[in-house]
Amino acid sequence: MFDKILFISSALATIVGAVLTISVKNIMHAAVFLLLSLLGVAGLYLTLGADFVAVIQLVVYVGGVVVLMVFAVMLTAGSSGQKANRFGLVKIPTMGNFRTYTIGIVFAALVLMTIIKLYTNVFAMSRLAQIPAYSPTVSKIGISLVGTHVLAFEISSVLLLGALVGAAIVSRPRRENR
Amino acid sequence: MNQTVASYLLQYEPVQQLLAFLSKLLGFNAISLLYFLIFALAILAAVGFLSLVGGLGTYAERKISADMQARIGPNRVGPYGILQFLADGVKMLLKEDIVPTQSDKFLFYVAPMLCIVGVFGTIAVVPFSSGFTIFDFNVGLVYLIGISSLVGLGVFLGGYGSNSKWSMLGGMRGASQIISYEIPVVLSALSIVLLSGGLSFSSLVKAQGGWPHQWFIFHNPFTFVGFFILFIGSLAETNRAPFDLPEAESELVSGYHTEFSGMRFGFFALAEYIEVFVVCGLAAALFLGGYNVPMNLGGDGLIGQVLQLGSFISKTLFLYYMVIVTRWTLPRLRVDQLMTMCWKYLIPISMVNLIMVGLWMVAFDGKSIFDLIFSGASVATGTGH
Amino acid sequence: MGFYSYLVVSTILFVLGVIGVLARKNIIAILLSLELILNAAALNFVTYTRFVNNNIDGHVFALFIIIVAAAEAAVGLAIVLRFFQIRETIHVDDATQLQG
Repeated sequence: MFDKILFISSALATIVGAVLTISVKNIMHAAVFLLLSLLGVAGLYLTLGADFVAVIQLVVYVGGVVVLMVFAVMLTAGSSGQKANRFGLVKIPTMGNFRTYTIGIVFAALVLMTIIKLYTNVFAMSRLAQIPAYSPTVSKIGISLVGTHVLAFEISSVLLLGALVGAAIVSRPRRENR
Repeated sequence: MNQTVASYLLQYEPVQQLLAFLSKLLGFNAISLLYFLIFALAILAAVGFLSLVGGLGTYAERKISADMQARIGPNRVGPYGILQFLADGVKMLLKEDIVPTQSDKFLFYVAPMLCIVGVFGTIAVVPFSSGFTIFDFNVGLVYLIGISSLVGLGVFLGGYGSNSKWSMLGGMRGASQIISYEIPVVLSALSIVLLSGGLSFSSLVKAQGGWPHQWFIFHNPFTFVGFFILFIGSLAETNRAPFDLPEAESELVSGYHTEFSGMRFGFFALAEYIEVFVVCGLAAALFLGGYNVPMNLGGDGLIGQVLQLGSFISKTLFLYYMVIVTRWTLPRLRVDQLMTMCWKYLIPISMVNLIMVGLWMVAFDGKSIFDLIFSGASVATGTGH
Repeated sequence: MGFYSYLVVSTILFVLGVIGVLARKNIIAILLSLELILNAAALNFVTYTRFVNNNIDGHVFALFIIIVAAAEAAVGLAIVLRFFQIRETIHVDDATQLQG
């Protein structure tokens, strides 16, 4: 019974957070609702028995990506959105209006129909008869990362190094001799 | 799989009788309900204990700083002023809750909540003793690091949401300090994970022994340095001096919690003092042997649990005392000195530590330096086997 | 609580992410919605591991999705910061230098 309660609360946090992320007008609030959604997804991972993935999601997304987004919002003064853009000095809010949401919903409906068509094959597929009991996954993931998937592991470390150095260089303030 | 305080208590006869009684009363197997009740009671006890520690921490800080500065400190409220923290708490509860009109109200509400959730969420895995850990999560160390990064977000949103320049500066400095110093802390903790072979706190603590020569701090010279890196990084994580630039009274009025009054400020202050306790507990569990008692007195029964609890709490309080003494001894670091120290000194040192601990494990088969000396001495004198 | 419930959650998350990417005009808001899409995909992988074949590769792939999403968020936000330094705006409609 507590499994069900945990699943429902995590799923609710995820979906409510996602709906609010894509609809609020203030971008800092949108970042906080993304945090709520990511915490919900971590809870869903825990109910699926993926303990290591859940805590890595917590460390990387909550402690890394959301903090990064919040810093970027602050550094680009995105919350007020009061600057003039090329459409003139009218303060057009940068968070979307009725027309953009309509276009978004139409395309999302197309995507949804494609996914549902794919799911007919998924539901015909055989599934495990007996759901395995919860077991620790850390050692299995570790063995897999340095055994079967060692190439992807090493390439991802190079990728992260490239992202680190690249982000630092691209966003460095330039001297005024352009 | 994961040992919890409920599964530990179910070993005992009175608890099993309670389970049978509840099952008979309710008609269905009441084990989940019993687990829920035990968890609720344990969490209430832990939250109460930690809030008490947080409150007494403010009192201890004032008394210890007074002692170092040749004054007396609070001595009016209760015997030796020990009820001072209750008086402070009542004062904070009764203060008017001022929300500035230009502030972002949603962030004003959310920021103290994030700090408190980030700190109280960690007490689920803190290894108080082998039976009384609320939930011995098999990836407990990573969980603790992840949940305490919510505090950094709360600091930043508090500074940003106040819409005032002192708060904004304090919030930015606080957040950048917290996310920078997470790296040496995590790298030092990872070198201990290499030595003990598991991410759960029970495996990290059980790999050490009760006597000081069996603690990880004296295992090899690299973990010795790693302890101090973890300690310095934890001081910076919790915004304690000499890293308290985000809340420095003489510089930024009060930094990121300038505009918060009443219980909201109380949340920030309480979160800081409890977080100091939790990171001191982390350092004690990783490096100082955790809840191990010398010669394993008392075994696993209730007497042993109480002794283990006492061992853990005394080590943590000793480190807490060191944190307070450090605050009133060292001058504050400037923000560029702070960042330089992290990125140019602590991170390279902790990376080298991690690699060298790995090499030590390969070269000496994971034995500590005392094991090598004793076995070398016994071989040399001919009494070895 | 069942294979289908997790698939429904991840589908809804994906669709909401797509709406967010198409409807928002602030570049950072588009990046926030992109994170929702990546999370939906990783949730799908972990769900299949538990209910279909219990192969740990599902968890490993979810880890790689998380790693790549973090790297991409960092680089994307660096580009946004550079764009803001040049153009003083983060409205998508102002990114027109390569237009026609």
